[in-house]
Amino acid sequence: MKKTNPRHGILGDHVETDKRVLDVARSAPSFRGDVAFVPSSGDRPLDLDLCRQVEEICAPKAIASAEVNGRFQLTLDKGRCIMCGICEEMAPALFKVQSGFARPVRRRSDLVVAQPSDKSPTGLDHSREEIGRRLSEKVTKILGRSLAIREVDAGSCNGCEVEVAALNNPIYDIERFGVHFVASPRHADVLLVTGVGSRNMESALKRTYDATPDPKVVIAVGACASTGGLFGDTYATSGGIGNIVPVDIFVPGCPPRPEALLYGLLLAVDRIR
Amino acid sequence: MTTGRVAIAHPGAASCGSRLLERFGTRLTAVRTMNWNEVHVDAGSKDDIPELCLYLRDELKGVLGTIVCSDERRVSGAFVLRYAFGIGNGEDLFVIVTARVEQGDYASPPVFPSIALSLPAATLYEREIKDMFGLTPVGNPDTRPLTLHEHWPDDVFPLRKEFELGTKVAKVLKRDYEFLKVEGEGVSEIPVGPVHAGIIEPGHFRFSILGESIVNLETRLFYTHRGVEKLAENLKLEQVLLLSERISGDEAVANSSAYCQAVEKVAGVVPPPRALQIRAVCAELERVYNHLGTLAGLSTDVGFAFGAARLNILKERMMQLNEEVAGSRLLFGVNRLGGVGIDLPLERSRLVKGVIDTVLDDFNRVISRLRNDSSVMDRLRGTGAIGLKDVAELGLVGVAARGSGLDVDTRRDHPYGAYRSIVIDPHHDTPRHITEHEVEMAKRRGDVLARFETRVEDVVNSVNIIDEVLGNLDCEPELLVPVQMEALKPFGHALGYAESHRGQTVHWVMIGEEPDTLFRYKVRTASFANWPAIEVAVLNDIVADFPLVNKSLDLSYAGNDL
Repeated sequence: MKKTNPRHGILGDHVETDKRVLDVARSAPSFRGDVAFVPSSGDRPLDLDLCRQVEEICAPKAIASAEVNGRFQLTLDKGRCIMCGICEEMAPALFKVQSGFARPVRRRSDLVVAQPSDKSPTGLDHSREEIGRRLSEKVTKILGRSLAIREVDAGSCNGCEVEVAALNNPIYDIERFGVHFVASPRHADVLLVTGVGSRNMESALKRTYDATPDPKVVIAVGACASTGGLFGDTYATSGGIGNIVPVDIFVPGCPPRPEALLYGLLLAVDRIR
Repeated sequence: MTTGRVAIAHPGAASCGSRLLERFGTRLTAVRTMNWNEVHVDAGSKDDIPELCLYLRDELKGVLGTIVCSDERRVSGAFVLRYAFGIGNGEDLFVIVTARVEQGDYASPPVFPSIALSLPAATLYEREIKDMFGLTPVGNPDTRPLTLHEHWPDDVFPLRKEFELGTKVAKVLKRDYEFLKVEGEGVSEIPVGPVHAGIIEPGHFRFSILGESIVNLETRLFYTHRGVEKLAENLKLEQVLLLSERISGDEAVANSSAYCQAVEKVAGVVPPPRALQIRAVCAELERVYNHLGTLAGLSTDVGFAFGAARLNILKERMMQLNEEVAGSRLLFGVNRLGGVGIDLPLERSRLVKGVIDTVLDDFNRVISRLRNDSSVMDRLRGTGAIGLKDVAELGLVGVAARGSGLDVDTRRDHPYGAYRSIVIDPHHDTPRHITEHEVEMAKRRGDVLARFETRVEDVVNSVNIIDEVLGNLDCEPELLVPVQMEALKPFGHALGYAESHRGQTVHWVMIGEEPDTLFRYKVRTASFANWPAIEVAVLNDIVADFPLVNKSLDLSYAGNDL
C-alpha cells in the first residue's frame, strides 16, 4: 500500500510563498554575474605577458590594454563581457568573478572600467523583492499607471529571452510591481531589446522603434545588444543595437539574470520622467 | 589517464564500406573509416551524388544528418560537399559521401546536382549552400535566397574564404521575397512577424487562409542570422566553445557537447569518465528545464493558466538548480575541450537529487491535473498532426519524430559519452519491452497531445537518468584531459553529435592550418531539421491553433538561423 505523501506538493495551498523558492532571493555563490579587477591588483606592476595572453583569450574582446601617459593600463568592458570566467582562471591575481550581477548603466562608457580601480563598482546583489519594491514605487509615482514593455529580439541566442520570460513566471511575477509586457510597440513605454542587432532584423527593429510612441526608453539587454558581445561587429551583426536605434539603458550580462533586468527597468523609469 | 583512442575497428564499418564498393565499384575513388564510426566515401564525380545518397537512404536505411560544404579551393582546388547519413538501428554508423565541386568560371559557375526532389530533407541545406558558397543546386525547384535576406547582393558569399568576417556589405534593393501565392475565392493572407506578440524570437509566418482554416503556411526565418559559422573560423578553439553554447542559449549543453566531442575526436582525446557523466547530468538538467518550459507554454496557449503557473514554478526551480550547479542559469560553462569545467561533489549531487525528486513529484501532480482537464485535452488532441510519412521525408528528429511514432534518439542510435553505458528509457531492455514499445509508438498520432506526452515521458526518463548517473559517479577526480593543439592535425575533421531537448544536433569541425584555429565549423541543430514540420503540421487547422502547434514543436529560431 502506498502511503499518502505528507507533502502537499505544488498543488497545495500557498505555493507561491513556498520557502524553498523564496529563500533563494539572491544569486547562488557560484553564479558568474560580474567580472571585476582584484582590488589589490594595482599594488604590483602588471605582468605584461600575462596581460597580453588574457587580452588575446578573451573571446568578446572585453579586456584591452593600452599605454596611458606612458603607463600600461588594462581596461575591462563589462558591456562586452560574457562572464565566462576564463580571465580569472588565467590571471586570478588580476580578475575576479563575482556572484552579484553587473550593474546596469545609463551611459555606454560607464561599462568600461580601468585597472587599478579602487572605485570600480562591484556587482549588485539586491534581491528581486528589494528591486521590485523600488520599481513599483517609482512606477506609481512617475507614471501613475503600469509600465508597458515591448520585447524585441534583434538576433539573440534566446538566452536573454529565457530570462526575460522568467520575469513573468510566478516567482518573479513582474506584474505585481506594475510592469507588464504588451503585444504591440504602440502600447509600449519601454523597448527591451536583446540580440546583436542582426542585419536581417535591422529594418524590423527600426520600424518597431518608430512605432513606439514618445516618450520611449530603449534598454539594450545583454552583451550582444550592448556591444555585439561574443558576436562582435561582422557582416551579419551591427555591433550592438546602439548602431540601429538610440539606447538609454545598458544591462550587461550573458544573459543578465532577471534581477538585473528589473534593475535596468528601475533606471528606465527615471528616464521617462 | 590514457589519452589515446583504443584502436579497435567498428564492427559494421568495414562491411558497410565493402557493400558500397561492391555496388559502386570504381565510381568511388576512396572508402575509409575514421573516428570510429565514420565511413567516408569519396565519389569520383559530383554527378554520382544523387545515386549514392538514394542508395544510402533506401538500402542502408540512412537518415540525412547534415550536408557540409567547405571552401577548400586553396587547399585542394575545389569546393567539397559532404553528405552525412546516420545509420541507427543498433549499427551506430555515419556514412559520409564526399564530392568535389570545381570552381568553374564566369561562363560556367559552380553547380552541383540537387537531391531535393527525391530527398526533401536536403532542400534547405542546398539553398543554404547556394547563399553562403555560391554553388547552385541544379534541379532544386526553390531558387529563393534563404539565409541572406533581400538586401544582400547576389554575388557575395560569406562562407567563401576570400570573404572577410567584418566586411560590411552595402545594402542593395532587390525584389521582395516571393511567398507562395494561394489564389481562389475567399482565400486571404495573414502576415505575422518578424516581431511577435509574445516574448519569443523573430521569424515571419505567412498564412493563406480560407475562412478560419490554414490552407498554406510559409515560414521565413534567418532573422537572427549572426554569422556563427564564419565567426568560428576567426576564433580560437576554446572561444568557439563559448560560441557553441550561444548558438541557441537554451540548448547550451547539447551544442557544446557536440562541439567538444568533434574536437576531442580529432585530437584523439577521451575525457575522463566522471567528466562524461557530468556532461550527461547537465544535458539532462537542460532537457528537464526546457521541457517544463514548453509544457508550461502549451498550458498557456490552451488558456489554462493554473497549469502554466505551476509548471513555470518548477522550471524556475530547475534554473536555480542550474545556477547552483554550473554558476549559470542556462548551464553556460559546463563543457570544456577534453572534459568539463564543473564538478559535482557529494553535497552538490545530493542537492541535485533532492531538487529533481521533488520537482518530479510535483510535476506528476500537475500533469495528472492537466490530463484530467477536458478543456486542455480537447485542445491538444488531434491538433497539429504530422504523419509518419512526412516525418521520414522531412527527416524530423527528436520530440517531433517520436511524437509521430518514429523512435529516434541520438543517445541510443549513436551513443556518445556517458550514454554508452546508460539506459535512456525503460523500453529497450528486453524483447518484450521492445515489442510493447513498438506497439505504443505505432499508436502515436503525431498531434500536439502526442508531443505533450512525449515530453512528459522525456522529463521522467531524464530524472531517472540523472538519478542513475549520480548514483554511479566515477570516483576518479579527474575532470579534464587537456586537448593539445599539436595533436590537432591541420584539416583533421570529425562529426560531433548530441541529443538536445529538441532532437539531434550535428556539428562538423575541420581544423585549420594555423594552430588553434578552425577551417570550418558546420552546425546543424534539431531546429534546422524540424522547422519544415510546422508548415505541414498546421495544414487544415485553424489560425488560433497555430501558437499551440508552434509551441508543441518548440523550435529555436537562433539555432536554425545561426
